[in-house]
Amino acid sequence: MRRPEPLEIFQPTSIREAGALVKEKGPGGRFLAGGTDLVIAVKEKSFSPKYVVDLKRIPGLSGIREEADGGLKIGSLTTLREVEISPIILKRFPFLAQSAAEVGSVQIRNRATIGGNMANATPSADVAPALLALEARARIAGLNGERVVELEQFFRGPGQTVMAPEEILTEIIIPPANPSLVGEYIKFSPREMMDLAYIGVAVAFVFNASQKLCEKVRIALGAVSPTPMRARGAESLLEGQVLTEELAEKAGAEAARECKPISDVRSSADYRRDMVRVNTKRALLNAAAQRPGKWTERRDRRY
Amino acid sequence: MEELTVVGKPVTRVDVQEKVTGAAVYGYDLVLPDMVYGKVLFSSKAHARIKRIDTEKAKTYPGVVAVVTGKDAPWIHGEAIRDKPFLAQGKVRYVGEPVAAVAAVDEDTAQAAVRLIEVEYEDLPAYLSPEDACKPGAIPIHEDFASYRKMNFILPGAMPNVCEHFKLRTGDVEQGFRESDIVLEERYFVPTIQHAAMEPHSAHAQVDPATGKVTIWVANDAPFRALHEISEALGLPQEKIRFINPLQGGGFGSKGGLKVEPIAVALAYHTNGRPVRVKFNREETFISTLTRNEAALYIKSGVKKDGTIRAREMTIYWGGGAYAEKSPTVCIRGSLPGPGPYRISHVKVDGYAVYTNKPVAGSFRGYGIPKVAWACEQHTDELARRVGMDPLEFRMKNVFVDGDVSYWGEQLHSVGLKETLTKAAAAIEWGKKSSRVQEFKGLRVGKGLACIQKPTRSPTTSKAGVIVDAKGEVAVLAGTVEIGQGCSTILSQVAAEELKIPIEKIHMAELDTDAIPFDASTTSSRSTYHMGNAVRRAAIDAREKLAEMASPMLEGEKNDLAFADGKVFLKDHPGMALPLGEVIRRKLGADGTVRGDASYTYELAKELDLETGHSDNASAFYMYATQAAEVAVDEETGRVRVLRMSAAHDVGKAINPLNCAAQIEGGLAMGIGSALHEHMVVDDQGKVRNPSFLDYHLVTALDLPEMIPIVVECPEPEGPYGAKGLGEPGLAPTPAAIGNAVADAIGIRIYDLPLSPERVYRAIQENKKKVA
Repeated sequence: MRRPEPLEIFQPTSIREAGALVKEKGPGGRFLAGGTDLVIAVKEKSFSPKYVVDLKRIPGLSGIREEADGGLKIGSLTTLREVEISPIILKRFPFLAQSAAEVGSVQIRNRATIGGNMANATPSADVAPALLALEARARIAGLNGERVVELEQFFRGPGQTVMAPEEILTEIIIPPANPSLVGEYIKFSPREMMDLAYIGVAVAFVFNASQKLCEKVRIALGAVSPTPMRARGAESLLEGQVLTEELAEKAGAEAARECKPISDVRSSADYRRDMVRVNTKRALLNAAAQRPGKWTERRDRRY
Repeated sequence: MEELTVVGKPVTRVDVQEKVTGAAVYGYDLVLPDMVYGKVLFSSKAHARIKRIDTEKAKTYPGVVAVVTGKDAPWIHGEAIRDKPFLAQGKVRYVGEPVAAVAAVDEDTAQAAVRLIEVEYEDLPAYLSPEDACKPGAIPIHEDFASYRKMNFILPGAMPNVCEHFKLRTGDVEQGFRESDIVLEERYFVPTIQHAAMEPHSAHAQVDPATGKVTIWVANDAPFRALHEISEALGLPQEKIRFINPLQGGGFGSKGGLKVEPIAVALAYHTNGRPVRVKFNREETFISTLTRNEAALYIKSGVKKDGTIRAREMTIYWGGGAYAEKSPTVCIRGSLPGPGPYRISHVKVDGYAVYTNKPVAGSFRGYGIPKVAWACEQHTDELARRVGMDPLEFRMKNVFVDGDVSYWGEQLHSVGLKETLTKAAAAIEWGKKSSRVQEFKGLRVGKGLACIQKPTRSPTTSKAGVIVDAKGEVAVLAGTVEIGQGCSTILSQVAAEELKIPIEKIHMAELDTDAIPFDASTTSSRSTYHMGNAVRRAAIDAREKLAEMASPMLEGEKNDLAFADGKVFLKDHPGMALPLGEVIRRKLGADGTVRGDASYTYELAKELDLETGHSDNASAFYMYATQAAEVAVDEETGRVRVLRMSAAHDVGKAINPLNCAAQIEGGLAMGIGSALHEHMVVDDQGKVRNPSFLDYHLVTALDLPEMIPIVVECPEPEGPYGAKGLGEPGLAPTPAAIGNAVADAIGIRIYDLPLSPERVYRAIQENKKKVA
């Protein structure tokens, strides 16, 4: 075993320069954004990347913008704390803000970025189900230009995405949404905070509150398959239907059937399935109830 | 009694400023000139013979200063049983056992060299539960157990791998069961958990090549005991060993005995006088220092229809892990009061401390009581339910009161238990339907309580010195370790009280065994009582000397003098007062000091009889506590949320009410974690699966309920100002109280800890099936 050499770190100032660096240095390097996963892997888990390319000197990768068409663009280096407290996001998609607020601690969220959270492709990433429920897309820049992929296609497996080594996730695009869109994210974990999701459920649908009619129903699950996933069977049960407790229960059962959880030190697969069932039901009913409040208050609704 | 000026007051902690500003230096922070850095190769096998160790590649790796294995460190240590090698000798007994160590110019180099060490193992059968390890036919984990040096109180068992068998025999339990209307038998289980002190373990060591003196810098909770253990192991006289204690960032029992010290010492013999630092990271601390004993507890009771407990029988298997550490004494002092603080005529207890092939287990805040309380207090609720009595009423009928002779033969005094029961229960509106049912709609709300009695290790000795200088400043020389519990504040208050010197003028001398008088240990909630008595007496000794010196200066008899506000004066002429520094300066000059010395031992204590477990004076004092919990259980997910929790603790006398409340709240937080989340998961290969705070769940501030600490003062005549102790009981009844509240909420008894969402959910599901 080789003695750990000092780590080579580059700080490019453009996406082109960053991509060229990776092309030149070859495989085995890692991009650095907030560092909340990478630095710990290096320091505590004996992970030794060949080199590190810090993206924080590249201008324009951070910030939340509201588009003329009503869509949102979130730069990949936007911190999770910014997503959590952004007035636009709190107003338009409070459950997305809440999903960001569920990650780690304030200190972690002040460093962790939404791009890092996605590019790291952890199955339990809290923000991913909320973004999937919003049908978000990912803008990816490489040496030969840009491409945009559906976030659902972006994840390929634990730690794996569609991006080539020299490609960089630059932006999360949230398409325009109907003003009657409601949503909810429930992170189920034993502890109130500083925990990984045993399961996560995000729901979003256009809700006619007077008739209790659901349309464009999107249900996304975290930590119950190799990648964050949509529960399409459960969605179709609800599409165009009047939301009742019974129907929410049925949709929960369907989502539980669709997911593919594993057993590990945190939880058994069976329990994860049951928690998908219960929390999908709750997320649907909570979203329909549209109770306002800060995320810390909203958290109580899990009970 | 004279009115107290500082004792009993909510004095702010004397160490608060250095700690909140980050100026405090802990063992983990220490940097010594010219030091080298040690890293360890840990066993990857749960039980195996070592066929070969090859260190050649590591030795020649650039930057390596020393490589050591068991051959280079042929030493064995252990307090109750001398069974633990500094580094593995011929075999390994758990995954995580230190096998070899490297010292190098920096930590990365040492770690890289460690990876170059090759070890060849030959697997042996591994025992991963205490009940399996002591079954007939199990092979011994310690082949040479018979020849180990053991303390005289050790009673090895007849079964394999039992390193201690504690026996309590009172009356005739079979007769008691025959006389009972209801007999109930249950099994409870408590898993292995971690101390999870904020500061991980570390040790620094240096061997002086000229004199052979061994110096160890370590945040150990019992430096004198550790010194003795090192001295016995190395065969060195005690004056050749010195322990220097930096601050400790929490220990909870994990930092006594020897943990990282042997590795640092083994390396320090090969670094030509350079000091060695060995720091464990969190994972290493999890697997290779200490854990809390897992315990399988069988409990059987007979009760009369009127609610009188007639008989109780307990068999407890304490999982000791690979080495005895303090498991034998946890077994003794945990099993003894295991049947609970109740008047029972017929009692039989068998406690077995059993070696297993898991990380070493031993002392943990509460010393066995949290485990026996988990079983005994839930079992007691079940008995109450079966005779149709309220759990509080049932306890009030059966608990110890002043003057009772306990089932181990000791007449009890200063028993504040009933007061703790009524106050803890009242604080959560016991007997009233929960007012919060509406607020937590869809949840099942319930209440529960649990009470305990805890002894302290006895007899033990604390010595102390108090030095007053010509500036009127005071140094307190006490071997009690500031482990975060606040002893420096408490002992400063005691010295300030007796000398009548403002507390700002008092400081604790640094803990160095070359300069500080002997103290048994900072364990067992013993310090306020024992060291409090010693410091109090040393301060009185100094005061007497000062009075003698001041008497001619003030032209009065010694008895006519009084002390206040750092001055001495004639009682009749308080205006003519001399500052104490001035008294010393006049008599001894500007460099003069006056020193008081004292020693305190609870002399009356008597060892337990090995055959009956009886002693008419088993403990210097007993601590009593009741905690009561209100919980909400989410039946759909199994999540338990503690809504509020009261904790009434009989402390004898609160030297510092603020510190008492903080101790109780800290204990509750720790107890709630062990009740709801904590569990070290060991797989079938003996490997710890969750050695980090990612998957080993401590509670966060957000998980904590409204906490209601209640101080009960039932004075202990021997204690300083009536004080007993408080450190350990804070978490002891907590899981049982929560378990009882959960059972009240959902009507289902859960026998195993922790009450994790999945476990509670399963119990609810199984119950539904049963009902259907």
